[in-house]
Formats: sequence, structure tokens, C-alpha cells
Amino acid sequence: MVNWANFISQCFNGLVLGALLALISSGLTIIYGTLGVLNLAHGAMFMLGGYAGWLAYTYSGSFIVALIAGSLFVMLVGVVTERLIIRHFYSRPPEDQLLVTFGLGIVFVEAVRFFFGSLSKTTPPPALFQGITNLGFMFYPTYRLAALGIVAIALLALYFVLYKTRIGMIVRAGIEDSVMVDSLGIDVYKVFMLVFGIGAMAAGFAGIVNAPVVSIAPDVGEAILVQTFVVVVIGGVGSFPGAIIGGLIAGEIISITSMFNPAYSYVMLFIAMTLVLVLRPHGLLGTAGRE
Amino acid sequence: MLRQRPLLVEILTAVALIAAPFVLPYLGFTPTTINRILIWGLLGIGFDLLFGYTGLLSFGQSAFFGTGGMFAAYLLTQTSLENTIVAVILGAIVAGVVGYLVGLIALRRTGIYFAMITVAIAEVFFFVEFNPLSEYTGGENGLPGVPAPNLELGFTTIQFDSNWSMYVFFAFWYFVGLVIALRIVRSPVGLLLRAIRDNPLRAEALGHNIHGYKLAVFVIAAVYTGFAGGLLGMLQGFMPPDAFMFDTSGEIVMQTAIGGAGTLFGPLLGAAAWLYLSDFFQTTLHLGATWKLVLGIVFVLLVCFLRRGLVGAIVDLYRLATRRKDGAEKTGPTPAPVSVVSPSPAPVMARTVAAAAERNSGGGKSGQILQATGLTKRYGGVIANSDIDFTVDHGEMRGIIGPNGAGKSTFFKMLTCEVPPTSGKIVFEGRDITSMGVNEVCQLGLTKSYQINQLFERLTVRENLAIAALGELRGKFKLDLFRSLSGVPGLDEQVNRTASLVNLTARLHTPVSELAYGEKRRLEVGLALATSPSLLLLDEPLAGMSPQERVETVALLKSIARGRTMIIIDHDMDSLFELVEKVTVLQEGSVLVEGTPDEIKTNAKVQEAYLGGVHGEMA
Amino acid sequence: MAGFKSGNKGMDGFSRRRVLQLGAGVASATFIPGLGTIGWAYADDKPAMGTWPAGSQGDTVYIGAAVPLTGAYASSGEDERKGMELAVEHMNTNHELMKKIAPKVDKGVLGKKVALLSADSAAKPNQAVQAEQTFINQNKIILMTGSTSSAVAVALNKFAQREKILYVAAISGSNDTTGKDCVRYGFRQNFYGQTAAAAIGPVLIKQFGKNRKAAFMTPDYTYGHTVTKSVNDYLKENAGWEMVTNQVSPLGTQDFSQYLTNIANSGAEFLINVNWGRDAVLSSQQAKQFGILPKMKLVIPYQIPFLAKEVGPDITEGVFAATDFWWTLEDKYPLAKMFVDAFQKKYGYRPEWGAENGYISFAHWARMVSEAGSFYPPDVIKQYEKGETIPSLVGDVHYRPEDHQCVRPVIIVRGKAKKDMKNDEDFWEVLEVVPGEGLMQAPDAFGCKLGDYT
Repeated sequence: MVNWANFISQCFNGLVLGALLALISSGLTIIYGTLGVLNLAHGAMFMLGGYAGWLAYTYSGSFIVALIAGSLFVMLVGVVTERLIIRHFYSRPPEDQLLVTFGLGIVFVEAVRFFFGSLSKTTPPPALFQGITNLGFMFYPTYRLAALGIVAIALLALYFVLYKTRIGMIVRAGIEDSVMVDSLGIDVYKVFMLVFGIGAMAAGFAGIVNAPVVSIAPDVGEAILVQTFVVVVIGGVGSFPGAIIGGLIAGEIISITSMFNPAYSYVMLFIAMTLVLVLRPHGLLGTAGRE
Repeated sequence: MLRQRPLLVEILTAVALIAAPFVLPYLGFTPTTINRILIWGLLGIGFDLLFGYTGLLSFGQSAFFGTGGMFAAYLLTQTSLENTIVAVILGAIVAGVVGYLVGLIALRRTGIYFAMITVAIAEVFFFVEFNPLSEYTGGENGLPGVPAPNLELGFTTIQFDSNWSMYVFFAFWYFVGLVIALRIVRSPVGLLLRAIRDNPLRAEALGHNIHGYKLAVFVIAAVYTGFAGGLLGMLQGFMPPDAFMFDTSGEIVMQTAIGGAGTLFGPLLGAAAWLYLSDFFQTTLHLGATWKLVLGIVFVLLVCFLRRGLVGAIVDLYRLATRRKDGAEKTGPTPAPVSVVSPSPAPVMARTVAAAAERNSGGGKSGQILQATGLTKRYGGVIANSDIDFTVDHGEMRGIIGPNGAGKSTFFKMLTCEVPPTSGKIVFEGRDITSMGVNEVCQLGLTKSYQINQLFERLTVRENLAIAALGELRGKFKLDLFRSLSGVPGLDEQVNRTASLVNLTARLHTPVSELAYGEKRRLEVGLALATSPSLLLLDEPLAGMSPQERVETVALLKSIARGRTMIIIDHDMDSLFELVEKVTVLQEGSVLVEGTPDEIKTNAKVQEAYLGGVHGEMA
Repeated sequence: MAGFKSGNKGMDGFSRRRVLQLGAGVASATFIPGLGTIGWAYADDKPAMGTWPAGSQGDTVYIGAAVPLTGAYASSGEDERKGMELAVEHMNTNHELMKKIAPKVDKGVLGKKVALLSADSAAKPNQAVQAEQTFINQNKIILMTGSTSSAVAVALNKFAQREKILYVAAISGSNDTTGKDCVRYGFRQNFYGQTAAAAIGPVLIKQFGKNRKAAFMTPDYTYGHTVTKSVNDYLKENAGWEMVTNQVSPLGTQDFSQYLTNIANSGAEFLINVNWGRDAVLSSQQAKQFGILPKMKLVIPYQIPFLAKEVGPDITEGVFAATDFWWTLEDKYPLAKMFVDAFQKKYGYRPEWGAENGYISFAHWARMVSEAGSFYPPDVIKQYEKGETIPSLVGDVHYRPEDHQCVRPVIIVRGKAKKDMKNDEDFWEVLEVVPGEGLMQAPDAFGCKLGDYT
């Protein structure tokens, strides 16, 4: 029973979900590409963003304040984490990096549970975006449309940082060839700290934007993390454009499959990942460099 | 220490397993906790082979734990099968088959990618168990009613249905699992697994099919995991669906990290610490929901400060204690670098053994051994090599020189099939090797020593040389899991011969990480030599050496050159011209000129090529 | 018993068995402290079994609760634990309420103090069984409880039967718990899919008439499919309602937009949401965002503790739900009032039904044990199986001997509008208290076979 209005609606859903995944994944991918660390606490950063935003909203009543304060907070968490812990792991084997970030993820989640309990929290959408919009072919929550816009702006900002600033140049150079950056005479550690912060902020920002859609609970980041992996594998590790394309593909696969049999949407996603791996082992836009 | 008293570990383990029920309860361990520790420990043995020994960090072991356990539980609860051992073994086999299929996909990539793919695949397994297969697996309810272990003896059936009798059953299987794993670790395959962990590219270049070994160890780990899954069902009379959850994979990774990877016992110790602490925080300290936070913090601290886990810490403590004792007696410093002490005997010794190594060399043959035509390599828009024609005769010593960026290293990489040429053809001993893999080419007798040392840093000199020699002695892939290393015919002989050839006999048991630079350089050449190549490529063998070391190495190379075919790249032209009979000069990716050292020295084009910045090297 | 049981093929099994048994027995009894399951027969007619008699020989008896304290069900788990904790406190202090339900309780049960042990199950069957095993070994617990999902309840049911230790289910909505997975050692107080469907169905038909169109949201596991089927069958057969779409989502779904889009385009008038826990919270919130609510009427056949608190009255206004207990029942039942007051005094909020079920299950157990005058599990089970009418917080109830399900009313509630709420926890008004007797299936309809006493 394919009906076109439904199909278009689902494509739209896929776009919204995909944009969100793209933003989270690009955070993960630039951290990995630059620092060589796969941050298993990335899902926790998403969750932290949601809580920080909610807290800021509770005190200020302004969504904009929540967005800014929340993402700055997560960036700070990222920077501090890098400075205190991750930095000591660059010289250690990659497995140790996975282990420590995995453990940090647990600590963040359980610490939030300790302070805020397990009941979920909801940040309401800003007044401007409340209600439902008639798109002609369907009714759609206004805030989700706005979220699409906000995420798109965030991705553009990230693009600008990566491609138009000096730090972005260094980051991209680092992804291409990590040895080269060392020889540029840059204080690599400062760059790494900043990149970890920006990557965490991308996830945290996504967490805040998502909070009015999906109310937050301490383990909200866990499911997202696995989907982010799939996105990164499909797009190619370390590739910013890859994360965006991968995110959109993943979003569409999940949404469109659910039209036929919702139960299989995640299986289809993993099948797609397998196909990509067989046909293009380095992901759609990945290069052979990083492993 | 494993090598010296081979059965010691087994005996100590057996004693510990027998003593455990009499000791551990006094420390606050309950019998079911001990049984659980054994199950995690058994699962951990497989995981440690995969992660600790081979360096493959899988976050997807839950898929095999669940599959093996569910299959065994299904057989025992839904079919007429009553023999628990048969059921568990069948479950383990199914897990192994599944592991093979998963491995085919996941092992296409390494490192981080591998970890992410295993996570994703395990998620699919969870989903499939939960939904499409819920008729067989009980969906979210799992499979209750799994019988306690039994042993059919024909005339009677022994039931292990109390905690301690189950302990007997589990301890027995843990012991079997451990003995098998110890055999694997001590076999040639075990050594190769560690080689893959330390330097997969070099292991491949030394003629081993590392993908095959990785797949094998992935399947072995899946079998162990599946077997442990079957035992879990029997321990609690119920096969839980959460065996398939990500937490299972996460826990085994954490337990192994806490206990210490690459030790086989680490996971057992880690499981003991993990289960004990989670009990302790909840039932003794009454932390409530906070237990997980505290355990998480403990884990992060352990990863930060105990790099090699509990086993590593115990070993370090033991060493510290014994060293302090030794230190009082021994006054001298650690043994002086051998290279300084005995420079001269090397060539002498080498000469005597070199003759023995000739069987594989081109001694008896004549004519062309290598023929490359029209070899071109492009990276994107950049041309590294263009249209190179190059031939080498049997028994020849050839030098290659060229300014930086002339494409020498790329040229070598194409000859050893590390990178495929964009166009052109390479014929080695009459065979077209253009599209072969680097391990196949090594098996044919063409290998290279690297410009930057590519050694197995965490292994000893002896093990390094053995890895190289095994390529020739065993072929590129062989699953001799239960053969001991010393049982490989000719291995010791070849290792010792090569070691004396490169003057490292006195350092055989030293870990590579403790060698001096010059020694590492010699070992680098030794690795290539130990494969008994008929054509040996040396990429800047003299790079980074002191003048004294250069003299020694040139003497070494001269001695091993007898009866071999060699191609040498180096910047040290004086040394090179002294060694070789003929020189090829590369410039900007093409052959500039070829000739004897004397011809090259006086060649105008070469002079011109080297004028400027690099002119000094000619002097 | 410890040791090894001979198979029926055995010919010289006896002597062999004795030897092995003796060996194991000596080993454990002599050298190993803290052994729970090994004991020697004390009386001819009551052989040692499970933790009996070791568990009731000290001056305290222990109850082991494996409740989720972390993970997606943590809030319900904490609520359950508080209800249980309160019940245990009341047993030991002869609280008036406890005395009304279990008159023979006297500063504990049968002269023993009662203590509650709890551990985190994270709502995972495996972790729940693991926690209970530890309690059995360390404290020789004589009663187990805990679950916020039927997966845990079914696992602990089977475990109880194997270990011969009583189990009273905490939150468990699946028909299987006292249906095909029922056991002699397991009891359930609360309502379940079948009774929920049978209770809410008539109310819906009465309110909205025949031939309506409903969209279902079903979590993709056995519990979800069972409840959806029960509700749909009832509405279809009795009033010709049509299921226009059934959106099946995996457990733990966060974003329901794809499913809601399908529902928005389905032309349904009712949204029957069978999701549980956090899935229910998220799907209901997002249905509102998509404008499906209040356009369609939301029905929640099996109410989720804390749902209203989490999603707010904007969403629950006008929602129909079936539940085990709601605190405003205090107006109708004096025992309920005593419970709500005592709970609120101790914990600062009014209990949800997980706490109620925890409390009353324990109180019933205390009654059975004290009436039977014995901790010997078969005696206690037989006391339950007498099927005597006993008090609960919602009137008189009894346990069915055939499947160990408590025959108790189902409460139908409707969400209040924010303006009508008298306090910040006054989310629901009780529409009807449907007597349990007529809601239940025939005892053998779901294939219950209880199993052995010993």
C-alpha cells in the first residue's frame, strides 16, 4: 500500500533524522580523523547536551540560551576530558583509547542519573516553533521543520570552521596526513583539545536540538552511538562530507523501510552498511589513509 | 617463562581450580559467582586470543555468546536431545560457523573500523533473536527450563545439579579450554597471531596469509564464546535474551582490560574483580543505583593507571621484588650492547654459514631472475614511476641510487607487490607476479628489508626471526594449532643460522624494544634473510647508522651476498659502490642511466642530477 | 540436594550416587561456609529444599528483590522497591495496615524479623537471576521478587521453580507469567494483558459505540503482540471496531516519526498505544507533536507508572487507561488511603501502581506464611492455593489455585485536564473498578501447567 503522500512524508522524516545523525556523526568523525581516537563516549556527549540544555532552559526559560549555554558546556566537558584524560592516551594503543572512552561514557551516564534521576525530562520547543505546519501533502510538527533548519545551519557552521579557518585547515590536513601536521610547527595539543571540544559540541548541540522531539533520559545516547557508527562506516571514517551523506542515507533507509515493515528498518540499515563495506571498503567518501 | 616448564602453567591452574572452592568462599565469593567467573573466564580465553594475542578488538562477542547459548538451549528444551555436553558442543559449532560468516565481513577492515562493524553486526543478531526468530528463542523471554549439566555414561547419568557439582563441570571445561588455548599460543599459529598484533603488514610481507589467520582466530574465539553461552544457560536454568545485548560485549572487553590482555588468565581475573565488586557495591555497601557509577569510575582509573591490567600489575610486582633481590648481588649494569663488543667475528661466522643458505639462492642458475617492463605508478595526478624497464640476473648485486623523490621506494614496493602498478608487468623467475599478493611473492622467494624498521617490537629477537623463517617452512597458511614451535622441523636451525649471520646470537632472548638501533637494523635485514629469499631487496640498509656501524654492515652485506641476488637502495654511495657490481640511477620516476660503479661515478648526467642540494652525497 | 542424581537407566546407580553425594556433601559441609543449597533432611515429611530450612533458622528472614535501578525502567523499579520496603517495615512494626491484611503478623513473620535485600537488575533477565543467585548464596533468601517487564518475571518464575524458592512477580503484564510460563512457585498479584483488554474494551464501547477505526502502536516483542491481539479481538468481535494500521516498533525506539506518519495517514479515530516504559512516553509525546493527539483519542490498555508525570496532563487529558491502582482510590477504599498516606509520608510522593503491587504482594505473602504457620514452601503454596478471600488495597481478592493469578479488579482511569487537577499528582480520575472475576480467561486457556511442589 504505497501511497505517495505517505512516501513523501517518510522521505521528509528521513531527512530530519538524517540531518541529526549527520551532525552527531560529523563530530565523531572529525575527532577520529584528527586525533585518531574513536570516542565511545560520544553518545554520552549527546546526552549531556540534552541535560545541559534542559537545565539552562529551566533556569532561563529561553531556548536560545539553552542552545548556547548547553553546547558551550558540552564543549567545555570535551576540552576538559581531552586535557585530563584523552591526552595521555595518544601514545597508547588504540584499544586503550576505546576502553577509556567506553568507561567515560558509563561514568557520564550514571553521573547524570545520580544527579537528575531516571525520569525523562522534556525541554519544550520555543514558542515560535510550537504547533503543526501544513505542508500541503502532510501535517508536520513545526519544531521538526525548525530543527531541520537549525541542524542545517550548524552543519554549515561546521563546514565553515573546517574549510574556511586556519584551525579547519589544520584539522583537514591532519585527517589527510597526521605526520605532516606535526612538522608544521603547530602546537598540536592545543589543536587536538579544540577539536575534541568541537566534536563533543556537535553531539551536544544535536542533543539539545533533539530534546524537544525526544525527551531526554540518561541512556538516550546509547542507541544513537551505534547508529552513528553505521553512518561513519557508510560515509567513510574521517570524512566530513561522508558523515553528512551517510547520515542522510541512514535516515532515509530507516524511514522508507518503515513504510513497508517498520520492524526491519534497522536490519536494512545494517545490510546497507555491509553492502557498502563489500563494494567500497573505505566507505563512500573515505580514503585508505586512516584505519 | 612458558617455554621453560611447559606443563607448569597447566598444573598450577589445575591446582588452583581444585583449591578454589575451599578458599574463595572465605573471601566472600558465593558458589554461583565462582561459576559465573568460570564462564566469563572461558569466554575470555577466546576473546583474549582474539584481542590480547591478535590485537583484534571486537565489540560483537555477544552475537556468538547468544547464538551458541540459544542453540544449545533450544536443543535441550525444544527437542528430545538430553545430552547437555552434545548440545553445548553443537551450540559452539554453530557459533563458530556464524563467526566464520561474520568474520568474512568484519575482517575486511581492521582497527577502529573492525570494532565498529562488530558492534553493528551484533546489534543485528540481537534484533533477529528478538523478533524474527522469537518462536525459537522465546523473544524477550528467552528460553527457560534449560537442564543442569549431565554426563551420560551409558549405564548411568551423572547430574551436576548443585552449585558445587556444577563447579566441577565448569571447572573441567575451563581447564580443557585453557589447555587448548595454551597449545594454540605455543604453536606456530600462536606466534603468528602475536606477529599480526605487532605488525600485520610485516607479517604479511614475510609470506603469511594474515587474513586467513585472523579469520581462524575469529572463529576460534566465536567457538569459545558460543560454548560459554551454552554453559550460562545451564548454570541458571534459563537462556537469557540479554546474552545478545551490547552489554555482554562491553563487559567482556572491560573484564579483559581489567584483568590484563594477552595473558589468557586476565579475563578470569577481570571477571572475578568485576563480579565481586558489583556484588560488593550492591549487597555490602548498599550503593543502590550508584553502584554502576562507582564501578565505571573504578574502571576508568584502572585503564588510566594499570596499563596491563591486574595480571600485568602482579607480574610487575613480582619482577620488582625479584629484581631488588638480584640487584643487591649483581653490581654491573645491564649487558652492554653486543654490537660494540663483537664487531669482527660477524663476517667470519657469517661466511661459514652463508654457504649453507645457498640452497635457495641463485647459485646454480643463470640468466634473468627479475624482469620488469613498462612499470608505471600514479597516485592521483602525481607520477611516482613512469615506464621503468629493469632486469636483474641471477647472482647479481645491483644498486639503485637517485636523489630524494626519484621514486626508489615506490619502485621497490611495486617489485614486492606491496602496491599494484598502474601499468606494466613484473616477471620473477619466469612467473608473472604483477597482480600477486605480497605474501605470495615472499613465498616465491622475493622479499625486502625496509627503510624504516618493521619489526615485531614486543617479541624477542628469536621470535622475530622465527616468524620470518616460518613463512618459508610452513607455507603461507597452515592451521597447525596443536604443534609446538619446537616441533617445526628446521626452525631452530634456520633461526640460529640467521641470527649468527646478522650477529645477534647473543641477543636471541632480548625483546626487540630493548635493542640498540644498529641491532634493530641488523634484525631488519635478518628478517628478510630468514625467509631464505632468492632475491633480496634492501631499502637503505645503512640509513641512520654511524660510520662504524656502516663499516660493519657493509661487511655483513658482503658476506651474505655470496650466492644471492640482491638489489640495494642507498644514499651512501661510497659504501654502495663498494658492494655492487652494477648501478641503476633513477630520476623523477624514470631510469636515468645504468652501468658499473665506475661508469656511474663519471657519468655526466648523474653528476648533473646530483648537483645542488644533494651533491654532498657524491663526495 | 547436593550431588548427583542417578538416571533411570542406572543399575548400580545407588552405591555410586551415595559415594558421590557423600563426597560433595562432606566437601561442602565441612570446608565451605555460606552454602545455601546443601542441607540434610530434618524431618521425614519435610525434606530440605531450596533455602529451607536454612533460610528461616536465624532470627531474620530475607527477601531478595531484583529491580531495575539503572536503564530505561529505573524509575518504575525504584517505585517498586519503595513499596516493598514499606511493606517490610510494616511487617516488622505491626503497622495497622499490615495487620488488616495479614492479622497474624507480629513484629515480623512467625517470630522472625523480615529484611529486604535489593539489587539492580537493569530490567535484564540475566542480571536479575544473577542477583537472586547471590542473595540465595549469601543470605538464603526465602522469597524473591522484582521485574518491570515480563521477560524478568518469566525468567525468575522458572528460576524459582528450579531453586524451590517462592517468587512473587512485580510489574509483569504478559499473559504468559501465569499462562504458559506459570510455575508452582510463582504468584502474581497485578493485572495483565488479558484482563486489561477485557476491562477497557467495554468501557470504550460504552463511551464511543460501534464500528470505530483504531490505529495500534505495538512494541515488537511477545508482550506487545499479545496485548494488541487481546484488545483488538475484543473490540472487533464485540463492536466491530477496525484496526486500520498496526505500527510495530522495536524495543527502545527513540524517534517514532515514521510510525506516526503512517498513523496520521491512516484515517484512524483512536490511537491504541501498547508501548511500555520509555517507549510509551516518547511515542505519546511525539503523537502530540504530530497533531495526532488530540485529533485521535489515545488509549493506553496497560498503564505505565509515571507516564502522566513524565508527559504531562496536556497529553494525558482524556486518555483512557487500564491500571492496577491509582491513588485517588483512597476515597473508595480505606486500606488504600492508609497505604497512600503511609507511602507519601515516607517518600514524599503518592505511590504509583508498581509500589502498590510490591506492597500488597508482600503483605499477601506475609499473610500466607503466618496463616500456614510454616516457612516450608509447599505449605505456603498450599495456603495460597486454598483460594481464600483476602483483603487487598482495592477490596477483597483471592488467588486462583490453578494458575496462581490473583483475581483482582482492574481500574479504568481517564486523564484529567490540567485545570481540573486538585494537586500536582491528580492526573487521573477513576472511571470504573471492573471486578476481576469476569475478566479472566479460563484457568487452562493459556496453557498453564504449574509443576511440582518439591
